[in-house]
Parts: sequence; C-alpha cells; structure tokens
Amino acid sequence: MKWRVSCKESTELVSRAMDERLTFADRLAMRMHLAICRNCARFARQLQDMRRLFQAETAASEDAPGLSPDARQRIATELQKKLDP
Amino acid sequence: MNSLDAHAWLADHGDYLFRVARRQLHSDELAEDAVQETLLAALSAQARYAGDASPRTWLVAILKHKIVDCIRRQMRETSLPRDEDDAESVDLLFRQDGHWAEPVKSWGNPQADAERGQLRRALDECADRLKPLMAQVFSLREVAGMETEEICKELGITPTNCWVLLHRARLFMRECLTLNGFGGTSA
Repeated sequence: MKWRVSCKESTELVSRAMDERLTFADRLAMRMHLAICRNCARFARQLQDMRRLFQAETAASEDAPGLSPDARQRIATELQKKLDP
Repeated sequence: MNSLDAHAWLADHGDYLFRVARRQLHSDELAEDAVQETLLAALSAQARYAGDASPRTWLVAILKHKIVDCIRRQMRETSLPRDEDDAESVDLLFRQDGHWAEPVKSWGNPQADAERGQLRRALDECADRLKPLMAQVFSLREVAGMETEEICKELGITPTNCWVLLHRARLFMRECLTLNGFGGTSA
C-alpha cells in the first residue's frame, strides 16, 4: 500500500481495520489520511458507532416483534409430531 | 426432561429465539425455520443437556449453529451478490479521483440519543434493505460478533469475498442511516 491514499482507499483500510490488524504500512497510511480528512475521520467514527449500537441493541431488543401466532402453532405441531411418532 | 419441556421452551423462549434469528437472517420465514430447527434439535439432544447452563443459553447456542447452517444453505442456493452491480453503487459514493462525492455528515452522538427505539428501527430497516446474503454476512460480524476468519471458514467463502461484502455493507449501511436522519445534526 502506498503512503498517500484516496478517500475511497482509506475507507477500505478503515473497514478492514474493524476486522483484522492492518500491516504497519497500511496502518500508517490510514492514520495519516484520517489526520487530515474530516470526511474519512467521520466515516471511521460512524463505523465504530454502528458496531456499538448493534451490540447494545442486540442485548436489548425486547420490543421487537416475536413469533407470529401461526408460526408458533406450526412449531408446536412439529414438536408434538416428534414427541409422539 | 419430558415433553412438557419442549413446549415450555417454545412458550418461554420462542419469541427471544425468533428475535435473535430475525436480526441475523433478515427474513421472518428463515427466522421461524431456524427456531423450529433449534427446538427440534434440542429435543433430540436433551439427553446431552447437562443443565449447567440455563435453558435459554443452551437453546441460543444451538440456534447460532442453525443460523450459520441457514446462511450456508442460502449461499449454495443463491449466488453471491453480483460484484459489478455493487461496485457501481460504491462508485456512486465517490468521485472519479477517489474523493467522497458528498461530504460525510456528522451523526452527532447517537449513544446519547433519547430515541432508542427509533435508532433500533433505523438499524434494522437499513440492514433489511441490504441484499440478503450481504445482510446476513454483515450481521454475523456486527450483530453476532463472529470473527471474519470464522465466518469465511463456516460459509466456505474466501477472505477477499468476505471482506468485500463487509466493506460494501458498511458503506451502504452508513449511507442509509445518514439518509434516515441518523444523529439528526448536519454540523
């Protein structure tokens, strides 16, 4: 990876950094870009926000819809079938 | 354990299992199937349930496998999202020289936003709007918190495939959340 990257390339590095440890050169290129680019710095912060929100919302999503009555009935029937063959 | 337990699992944990599955599979139908498969598998395996975990923890552990199985099946039956289509959508976000086409607007502080329910709906709606496989792989990573290496191995896709899907999903999610007034400020 070169030293100077475009915004498009920087978003690729930012995204990859969410999943794995970047090489030293990539990390440096990313940090140098983020230090001078407001748009990409925001993008990087938003990916982190998105991850935090997803994790928080997964833990507390009690008000999301549950099983429909139809599906519940269908599953109960399948369980019963297996219980008394 | 007896037959009462299987029905009690459905009564006590059915909604919870469904919500977990729905957020990762992005389809009511697939999520219902995953819940059913989980309870049937639990019934077959109940002799192995040592009772040292709560029933819910045990059921969720089975569900996780069923969700991955389901996505693997999707992957075999439908092809991966067409690379060129998505590449075009990505290109729209950037100018020819690689700069952002539009300034990236601030989200303010979404953690502090009082409208938690609204945030959750926006997250779910935007994720549902991704192409199914992209949404599912994205959710394995961001909702279920699986490592990318594990995702590739379980789904039999290359790291490059996996990484391109994740990156595009993130670009599209961010765009969608911003269009949905995420953060609310344009400072």
